[in-house]
Amino acid sequence: MPANKKYLSHPFQRFLKLTAGFFGGYFVMLYLHLCLTKMFDKTDILITTYVTGFIVWAILLLVAFLSKNGWLIWGIYLLLIALFYGIFLYL
Amino acid sequence: MNLRRYNIYFNTHTISGIIICAILYVIFFAGSFSFFKNEINAWQKNESDKGGAYRNLVFDHLLDSIGQIKELKGRDIAFYMQHNGHASYVNIGASQDTIVANKAKAIAAQKELAEKTRLAATNKGTAVKDANAKDEKKKKRGRGRRGNEDSMYFSYDLATKKPSDYSDGYTMGEFLYRLHFLAPLNQIGINIGRPFGYTLAGLVSFIFLFALISGLMLHWDKIKSNFFVFRPGNKWKTVWTDMHTALGVIGFPYQFMYALTGIVLIVNSVLIIPFSKYLYDGKEDEVYAALGYNDNTKYTYLYEPLSTTFKMGDFLDKLESKWPNSHMNRIFIKNYGDKSMHVVALYDADIDKNFAGSGRMVYRVADNKILFEKSAAENGTYLDYVKGFIYRLHLADFGGYPIKIIYFVLGIMGCFVIISGILIWLVARDKNNIPKHKRIFNFWAANVFMAACLTMFPVTAASFIAVKLASKVDQSFIFHVYFYSWLALGVFYIIRRNIGKTNQETLLLGSVLSLAVPIVNGIKTGSWIWVTYRSGANDILLVDLLWLSLGIIGLLIFKKMLQAAKKEGGNVKQATANRTNNDIKKTLPPRRAFALKSNPSTEV
Repeated sequence: MPANKKYLSHPFQRFLKLTAGFFGGYFVMLYLHLCLTKMFDKTDILITTYVTGFIVWAILLLVAFLSKNGWLIWGIYLLLIALFYGIFLYL
Repeated sequence: MNLRRYNIYFNTHTISGIIICAILYVIFFAGSFSFFKNEINAWQKNESDKGGAYRNLVFDHLLDSIGQIKELKGRDIAFYMQHNGHASYVNIGASQDTIVANKAKAIAAQKELAEKTRLAATNKGTAVKDANAKDEKKKKRGRGRRGNEDSMYFSYDLATKKPSDYSDGYTMGEFLYRLHFLAPLNQIGINIGRPFGYTLAGLVSFIFLFALISGLMLHWDKIKSNFFVFRPGNKWKTVWTDMHTALGVIGFPYQFMYALTGIVLIVNSVLIIPFSKYLYDGKEDEVYAALGYNDNTKYTYLYEPLSTTFKMGDFLDKLESKWPNSHMNRIFIKNYGDKSMHVVALYDADIDKNFAGSGRMVYRVADNKILFEKSAAENGTYLDYVKGFIYRLHLADFGGYPIKIIYFVLGIMGCFVIISGILIWLVARDKNNIPKHKRIFNFWAANVFMAACLTMFPVTAASFIAVKLASKVDQSFIFHVYFYSWLALGVFYIIRRNIGKTNQETLLLGSVLSLAVPIVNGIKTGSWIWVTYRSGANDILLVDLLWLSLGIIGLLIFKKMLQAAKKEGGNVKQATANRTNNDIKKTLPPRRAFALKSNPSTEV
């Protein structure tokens, strides 16, 4: 049986979630790891990102699909991006 | 489980899976064979690779013979050892010395260099090839290679003292290896600023990772209860579902590891580029140097000739007696022949001694001084361990043939997971409440995917036979044989529109061709299985045995399929008569086919 449509969102919402997860998720993952370079050696963090980065990105993509509203998840991811980027720049 | 979440996992898993299935199958199938790349190379050339011992003296000979063609003064020279342990890629950069560089430029301008190289090379018998043409093709690593006409890049076998020409030395092993990260797609002319094939392979592995995670979440509640569930006597859909989940769950760690390491190896630039931008002033070279792939330290050129002589062989001998249990990975010679000449040696620990050790020595030739030394036997750094983890796990080079064979079986199991996934997708949507045009589309898609995937088996076997029969094998020969036969067979089964027949016939054809591979090899070269067994040519033997077992297993499955088909013939007819679209799926493949196919895979 294909998934029950009742639980799936409309195409535009799905588009929002997909873009939020793929693009937003990527930058959240990236700036999160860049923040970590403030605390740890940058090469160590880079090689760690090789492993954790793609997993975090894929999970963020899935989380975006689980969210109730595409706009909301875009907002959350943008906030997270701003937060991590801010920490990376000013700390 | 939360119903909403369950359905979202279900939907995302299905969609992401069906998008990538065909390409992922190609990656898994070709990738499984690439574990035996070196063995296939040996098999095709009928020269068993006995390890190829060489003495470090050979480096001095090589440098001498290059020196006769090209003034080496002031150049950076790099040796990148290849996986077989006795061949090296050699890169010779442009000279730092402006006099040498200008001279070289002048020569290049007269276009005599190429001719000279060839002449000198043939005269000396150490044919060091002009590398510019090859550089294009050979750009596997694609990292910061300078586009200077004066530089050279070629591959050199240290044991036989022969440079190997890339395109002529192209083998099925190399072909399948490169096919598994979709390198041939780079050449089809879709310009996206990066190699198209690699980017696609990276994207597919990322979606694969996503599909794995969503699939795991989807199945989470039932992992324990359904771990051993297999109901081959049941409906088609349960057979495929059970197969998909059983093999998917058992193979999950392996597949997850492959999705992850695969992305890292093929598209690490999505991390390298931003990291270099934010942390390394945009210098990607520096990132690679920091990761230990390269050494791009620049030493100021002094324009003072070196007063001492440098024997690379002696240097390496000394180094290797100091660092036992490790082998050369990369050697960088900086500013050759100048007072500022340095040698940077990167060594890896032998795999059975240390999973991730890497050694580094920086040596200044002028005053015979070691500036930096870290042995590979010392405990690896965190960086070494993560890198070792990624490479060892992906390349499966840490445990000899047993590990490679287990990996191969797990890889083929991945193929079954993909195939059963496509079939679940199709069968789940083949219901009366689904509109006809959708069902036609679904069948069309599944039909195309199955035709493309399943024909790979006979086509690969046929290509192995073709390279044995042909008098001259090069890259274009393999491309033509493989891709045209794949296209022809694929189109045939697409037009035929019968998935059951596609399955049966490709299996039969593939098995027969598989059995023919060792026979053709025996007739053509005399390297029969018992001959190679006796002579200890294990690599050639392995490839023959691999095909022999694939053929035998395939035929056994085929036999079972026929038996089951006879037994169930009546049932199937009855069932299909009730269908509205009975033209689409007249003969289902017999029920137990997939169940049996998976058995040999899991028994290892």
